[in-house]
Amino acid sequence: MGTRNLTGGYDSDRILENVSMDVFCGEVLVIVGRSGCGKSTLMNHLLGLLKPWEGTVSYRGTDIWESPERLDRARKRWGVLFQSGALLGSYTTIENVMLPLQEFTQLTALERRITALHKLDMVGLAEFAHYYPLELSGGMQKRAGLARAMALDPEVLFFDEPSAGLDPVTSHSLDELMLSINKTLGTTLVVVTHELDSIFAISDRVIMLDAEEKGIIAMGTPEELTTHHNDPRVEAFFDRKAVPVKP
Amino acid sequence: MKKVQISQIIVNRGSEAVFNGVITASHLRDVSRALDSLDTRGEVVLDFTGCSGFDGVVAARIWSGIRLLEGSGAKVRVNGLAPNLMKLLSDYTALDKRDLPEDKQGWLFRHFSDIGEKVAAGIESARGLVNFSVNSTFSIIDALLKPKRIRWTLVAYYMEQAGVMAIPIIVALQTLLGFILGYQAGIQMGTLGAAKYMPKIIAYSVLWEIGPMLTAVLVAGRSGSAFAAEIGTMKVRQEVDALEVMGFNLCGYIVAPKVLALYAVMPFLVLLSNFSGLFGALLAGEIFLDIPARVFVEEIRTSLIPLDVYWGMIKSLFYSGIIAITGCFMGIRVRGGAAAVGRATTSAVVSGIFQVILADALLSLVLAELRPPII
Repeated sequence: MGTRNLTGGYDSDRILENVSMDVFCGEVLVIVGRSGCGKSTLMNHLLGLLKPWEGTVSYRGTDIWESPERLDRARKRWGVLFQSGALLGSYTTIENVMLPLQEFTQLTALERRITALHKLDMVGLAEFAHYYPLELSGGMQKRAGLARAMALDPEVLFFDEPSAGLDPVTSHSLDELMLSINKTLGTTLVVVTHELDSIFAISDRVIMLDAEEKGIIAMGTPEELTTHHNDPRVEAFFDRKAVPVKP
Repeated sequence: MKKVQISQIIVNRGSEAVFNGVITASHLRDVSRALDSLDTRGEVVLDFTGCSGFDGVVAARIWSGIRLLEGSGAKVRVNGLAPNLMKLLSDYTALDKRDLPEDKQGWLFRHFSDIGEKVAAGIESARGLVNFSVNSTFSIIDALLKPKRIRWTLVAYYMEQAGVMAIPIIVALQTLLGFILGYQAGIQMGTLGAAKYMPKIIAYSVLWEIGPMLTAVLVAGRSGSAFAAEIGTMKVRQEVDALEVMGFNLCGYIVAPKVLALYAVMPFLVLLSNFSGLFGALLAGEIFLDIPARVFVEEIRTSLIPLDVYWGMIKSLFYSGIIAITGCFMGIRVRGGAAAVGRATTSAVVSGIFQVILADALLSLVLAELRPPII
């Protein structure tokens, strides 16, 4: 999956310009950068939620915008964990996980239930299957959202700020969960975050975006970015230093 | 033995199914066909030696297939399944057997049980509404004593939304209703030779009841629900909490502009609604009942007293308080997400209309004391 010369944004607001990047099969790619640099915009373009103004977004070698069917087909191979978990409040946790199974497979009720329970068990929530999202803590809601994202065994899992609003312990356990999904199921992970601990814990490769450049300013393993990179913006990000604002 | 190849699954017609390659959800129908065609009278063999993997969806179908085969008396033997896939199937079996806290609130149970709890919640809600109404009333009086603190631009905004924007629908509906009532009353009374009394009957019914009530129902549906949805969404987005911790008086800041706006526009909406109703009846009389407009107006003028005209406007002041405060209360009570906002909107309309009718019943008793007999 990847982009070629992608230019895009919202309405007339140009956020990204000529961005070319790849996501390799089975890797954990982390997209980082300061607030407003276009991380979420890039993810929305990868997910097909935003249409490129110029350039292409491709999956398995073909442009996802070639036809609506192609986009639909690609989306069925992806799972997304949104910042808040985005569980439907009027359904129980297990009903939320069963939702894509009901919509996109011909499984029977028993088969849907056991598949959903297994996904919930993977994220440690089998005991909470019949709780409503409101009855779960923030971390549990995220894990339930992850179980729903994994319901159809996606090839690529996207995470939008998975650590946002979580305490360090819960955040760490979510990182471990993501890594175990990557290692045991071979799922490709694309993670948008600015949590340094998470970046070092989970990433195989890091892409750093910058608002002024409207694109990528650094790419490589976390070690490469921290030790062999001379760009002050990259250094400042990883050293948690403030960068002087230009007048 | 005849072999049939279905996608990546080979079924030895009889007692053996052979699974090859990577099997995904798109092969689900083939997997079902392979499992269904097996002869369950003896031993059944599922051979996965050539299978390099399957996803969770396919695993669920294979797992339930094995269960069904065993249930129908077959002895199932699984060959060559990779350890991780075997673990997946045994995880399913373990989960199925695990004593999990089941949905203690089954669909039927969830909706029809705990009636006592629901009644208690209803009483608690009514008590909350009374408290909220008292607080709001004091806040509004307090705000009126310090008019500079009232956000008049917001009052004007809600006056426009709840008042001006409601005029077309109120005029259209009330004219139609007046026309229908006038026509039906005229026809029925005509059979008794009393068609000439139609203007009087319609005037009393429109001015005392139908005009104010229809206006109240429409305003509850348009504005009461909008107030609940607006405040409910603010609650979900923690805007209400933010105002509260900043020390704002919620009743004064959020509720007062809405209540004041409805107080300001409702009497005029009722007046407009009454005129529209009478105009509709006048049209029915002129077109279908041989009652000239001049006669219709003269009949009304001689039979009404000023209280008849003001009564609907007086009632509308009670209605506007009820509708605005109930809408705001339902919004403030929202907890949770989008579904809770939807429920609050429904409650604001249903509860608002119920209270308006209750208030109307009480006010009818007052009118009976104040109004001299019509004959």
